[in-house]
Amino acid sequence: MDWNLLFSSYANVFLNPTVLLMTLLGAVGGVLLGAIPGMTATMGVALLIPFSFGMDLIPSVGLLLGIYCGGMYGGSISAILIHAPGTPSAAATLLDGYPMAQKGEAGKALSVAMFSSFCGGVIGALIMTFLSPLVAKVAMKFTSAEMLMLAVFGLSVIISISGKSISKGLISAFFGMLLCTIGLDPTYSKQRFTFGVTSLKGGLSFIPVLIGLFAVAEVIAGVERIIAGRESAQAKSTEKITRVLPDGKTIGQIWPNIISGGIIGTFIGAIPGAGGDIAVFVSYAFNKGASKHPEKWGTGIPNGVAATESANNGCSGGAMIPLLSLGVPGDSVTAILLGAFIMKGIQPGPMMYVSELPTVYKVFAALMLANLAMLLVGCAGVRVFAKIVSLEKRMLYPIILVVSLLGAFSINKNVFDIGVCVFFGVIGWLMNKYEFPLSPILLALILGPMCEQNFVRFMDLNQGDFSTILHYPIAVGFFVVAVGVVIFSLINQKKINRREAEAVSQPQE
Amino acid sequence: MDVKKAQTKAFSNLIASLVLIAFETWAWVQSGKIKVAKNAAVQPSTFPRIMIIGMAVFTAVLLIQSIIKLAAMKPDDPLARRAETLDPFRDKGVAAALFVILLCCAYVWLFKGLGYVVVSFLLSGIIMWLIGLRKPAPLLLISALVPLGMWLVFYKFLSVNIPMGVLQFLRDLVDKL
Repeated sequence: MDWNLLFSSYANVFLNPTVLLMTLLGAVGGVLLGAIPGMTATMGVALLIPFSFGMDLIPSVGLLLGIYCGGMYGGSISAILIHAPGTPSAAATLLDGYPMAQKGEAGKALSVAMFSSFCGGVIGALIMTFLSPLVAKVAMKFTSAEMLMLAVFGLSVIISISGKSISKGLISAFFGMLLCTIGLDPTYSKQRFTFGVTSLKGGLSFIPVLIGLFAVAEVIAGVERIIAGRESAQAKSTEKITRVLPDGKTIGQIWPNIISGGIIGTFIGAIPGAGGDIAVFVSYAFNKGASKHPEKWGTGIPNGVAATESANNGCSGGAMIPLLSLGVPGDSVTAILLGAFIMKGIQPGPMMYVSELPTVYKVFAALMLANLAMLLVGCAGVRVFAKIVSLEKRMLYPIILVVSLLGAFSINKNVFDIGVCVFFGVIGWLMNKYEFPLSPILLALILGPMCEQNFVRFMDLNQGDFSTILHYPIAVGFFVVAVGVVIFSLINQKKINRREAEAVSQPQE
Repeated sequence: MDVKKAQTKAFSNLIASLVLIAFETWAWVQSGKIKVAKNAAVQPSTFPRIMIIGMAVFTAVLLIQSIIKLAAMKPDDPLARRAETLDPFRDKGVAAALFVILLCCAYVWLFKGLGYVVVSFLLSGIIMWLIGLRKPAPLLLISALVPLGMWLVFYKFLSVNIPMGVLQFLRDLVDKL
């Protein structure tokens, strides 16, 4: 590694006022867009790419990376405050973030999310700087067999997010996977469960289902609680935010989760087709499994927020690895970035490390800067964002509903999606009422298409002989790890149930 | 135990498993109607059927668990606690939730005709009134300004064209400005 060139590239980026301004503007836009349910970082980058046409490469990359990193953090704001993840990558943040807000710790949850996002992003950027050629080599060996087993590995975390009843969690997961099969089948284009409805041919859109299951269901349940007298309509958070960054004690608690989340996020982000939405669940399950008190996860602890937020921002660095080293985008945002590079006359790929090394290092620096900009914007915004939960519930619930329904519409500009959102709102309300966990559906919706496509591709390539999977050592490795995760999660769940039973019996004694 | 068996969580699990079995049977029948692909190693119906089988296996587990629990129910068992009801006549909270669902269905139906701002004004206004906000000024202001503000953000800054229905003139006005 050429250290002199690396340092001069960093200095070049960090001391360039245009790059600084563009990255900061990108971060502001990204955080705001990410916080709106239905608006993803991908949409933000796609929307602002025309503005980057007239700029030099590095300011435009700074702008786009600012949106990317800001959007990753922004998604957690609505997940924490209104139970509606702004982006799919923030889906796991609500597991602990929303309960924290319900306990009157919304400001703390936001500051932990912001700090962890920043640290995860820095970890991702560092790994990208030093290990990108190596990681890219491993990730690019993935065929349909490895991708299938990666999806199976992702699904193995379902048990740890299932809550008290594993059978209910698994029913939810299979239901979610079944939902993924609605529409034209990806290989032969045969209609499945479309019932003659044209809008169903393309399958169910993920975002309306996500908003319905979490935000709309929460509003319906909230109205029910208020009318039944189980919740006050005037209830609001009275949390006073004295600091925008987590205190030393909290950082002391969450740093292992941040580091492991950042590393997991970077490596999963480096695999083309696997992004932040998968990484957050894997990181959550890993950290919960490694915790001394797994029973506290899901009840509103900062560790849960830290594990997921560091993973989704770690992905931003990871996704850049195959883009720069091999010219293959790791996710949809980097696919758009690839277009930006090509427009500027630079072809990412192995040759970029030879002919455009200063540009490569400047991109590393721009990613680091984008994370810093995200931290600045987050610090400035924590108090403002937290004000949302200081609204009375009788005002908050209707606002959440109309914003969520608009978010569902905005994805495809289709009224049908609002109907889908309401339908899944009802499903989510019923499932919550009868204690069926919702998170496994979410994970299944993310991994289902990847699982099916690679399963069909693998079987077609191997004439229907599934046993040939044994010839793929990385795939077998993933499968073994998945089995290990299932066994470990089962043991962990028993431990959780035992501790909860002890906690219930203690007051009686 | 003062809760009748038919009101326990174990019983609600039993009912849920029966509903799920009915759903899985229906889904299996529907999967049989998926067209066959020629020379395919995996048929388009294979993956959905694997999922239905997986769902059915764990539904059976839930069913057996609830039958065993109901047969030998201990008073301190978590599943012996009272389950949530769906009866709107017994629980006014459920009645309100069902009313909100009905409102949401009307929202979808009226969205294109009346436009986002008007239907959202009606939906949020009615819900606010329902859950206790009776002061006209905040009720009307919030119900009107939030959808209007969201429409402006989406239309002007994010270029998302949202149906405005009867308020179409607002879009023309904003375009002129």
